[in-house]
Amino acid sequence: MNAIEVRGLRKRYGDRTAVDDVGFTVAAGSVTGVLGPNGAGKTTTVECVAGLRRPDGGTVRVLGLDPWRDRRAVRAVLGVQLQEAALHDMLTVTELVRLHRALHRDGHDPARLIDVVGLTEQAGTRFDRLSGGQQQRLSVALALVGRPRVVILDELTTGLDPRSRAEMLDLVQGMADDGVTVLLVSHRMDEIERLCDRVLLLDRGRVVADADPAGLVAAAGLGERVRFRASGDLDRDALRALPGVGSVVRTGAEFVLSGDGDLLGPIGAELVRQGVVATGLRIERPTLDDAFLELTGRRLDPGAGAAA
Amino acid sequence: MTRTEEETVTTGTARPPASAWRALVAAEARMVARDTAGLVVPLGLPLLILVMVGTTAPPLPPGALDGRTPLEVFGLPVAAATVLGLVGFTNVPSFLAHYRRSGVLRRLGVTPAGPAPVLAAQVAVGFAQVAVGIGLAFGVAVVAFGAGAPAAVWTALGGLLLGAAAFFAVGLLVAALAPTTNAAIAAGLVLFLGTGALGGMFGDPTALPGPLAEVGQVLPFGATVHVLSAAWLGATPELAPVLGLVVTTVLASVAAARWFRWE
Repeated sequence: MNAIEVRGLRKRYGDRTAVDDVGFTVAAGSVTGVLGPNGAGKTTTVECVAGLRRPDGGTVRVLGLDPWRDRRAVRAVLGVQLQEAALHDMLTVTELVRLHRALHRDGHDPARLIDVVGLTEQAGTRFDRLSGGQQQRLSVALALVGRPRVVILDELTTGLDPRSRAEMLDLVQGMADDGVTVLLVSHRMDEIERLCDRVLLLDRGRVVADADPAGLVAAAGLGERVRFRASGDLDRDALRALPGVGSVVRTGAEFVLSGDGDLLGPIGAELVRQGVVATGLRIERPTLDDAFLELTGRRLDPGAGAAA
Repeated sequence: MTRTEEETVTTGTARPPASAWRALVAAEARMVARDTAGLVVPLGLPLLILVMVGTTAPPLPPGALDGRTPLEVFGLPVAAATVLGLVGFTNVPSFLAHYRRSGVLRRLGVTPAGPAPVLAAQVAVGFAQVAVGIGLAFGVAVVAFGAGAPAAVWTALGGLLLGAAAFFAVGLLVAALAPTTNAAIAAGLVLFLGTGALGGMFGDPTALPGPLAEVGQVLPFGATVHVLSAAWLGATPELAPVLGLVVTTVLASVAAARWFRWE
């Protein structure tokens, strides 16, 4: 059964097309990542799923309901953690969780939920006096307080320190283990690789890839690379003739062999056969970031390098 | 998804529970109580006006105001309109504009209750604050200056309700149009001081040039003061101020509903 179904989704803001013919399904109980650079249409897509925006075209269904027409019904089963959505700033953590609990018919015990997101010590602290990471954790607690069957988390670890980030990812994993369907928007590959069963890659308002994280790397056609250093020369033709090996490049004493499939075994055996002493042998597997670069010609994280 | 499951989702959990209203009103009450300036000024300024009128009004010839004092006929009505103006024109819109600006309305938009009930909760708390402010002013007037009840109690209560409706409707229109919290406060204060100046806050409005006095008389401040003055004197209020309050309420409500932006 699909918890979320999106078909032919389109949304324009004035002259700019934010989302252009996006379609995907999310199986109930799965964790799906929505990955893409800024401006790819991630937030617009999830806002349409959350019923915050009316699509210009296409259909969106959450547990079979239209999030725009059946807003009330969808809000009862959907938990949303939004980017840059504030709360009553003069209320305390406990007051806010209780308020949002009261807005739902069914829900979790506020004190327990505050404990789960690690805010027990800040339970009596006003929202405007929480740190960014604490505010973020509170917003996740509020997304969960109504015991939703589907949760949308938009950039949930932005502004968190490494420890809080790890705790937050554990929390999401726990939700998924409880059978909640999670749609996770992110531009961090490590989060997606760790949590997601499936990843949708958005670029310029379109889905450019829809696969499991390993499949996405495969779809980008990126193979493995094996690197090592060797003192003398070696029989490069014999290496190139090995199954799967595509190229052999020598730079000084360093050799880089790239290709598809499991390269390390055959290469190791060949080096032993040639009597070559290889040092610093290591294998490089492509990441989602490499896959993204390959599929879109651009880096996912603008900080990691200029656009190709 | 099967049809039966769809039915459960739509009918079983669609409506927000009654506890949502209680919780939202409690939340707004806490927000208002913790906003010190917004809490104290609407309670303090009317008292200041009362004390000024009560201590500086010249003695009148007997029977000049049907036996009522200037404090009752001018001081209390102006104090009541001041509370309404500060809370209705300024406080309520500043909270609502802040909620829109900071994303509170957007966040409530993804809860089963939706964003609209928070408007009603904020207005309800504003009404309560008005009741406290006017009650306080009346209590001080009675205790410190020997004021009595209005001659026409129902006219006074009706005038207060109608006045409150007009002030809050304009406040909601300000909240609908103001892009920021500061814009809402600025617009609210300009409206408050403008209608107040034309409506008798700074002295007898009949001293104003003819057309200005007439306009001031039908705007919320002057109209509320007129109806409350009449109530203390036991006179029947004129039609124009009463109509002014009704028309303001209707027009401002419709415009607010038409133009209110949730984000």
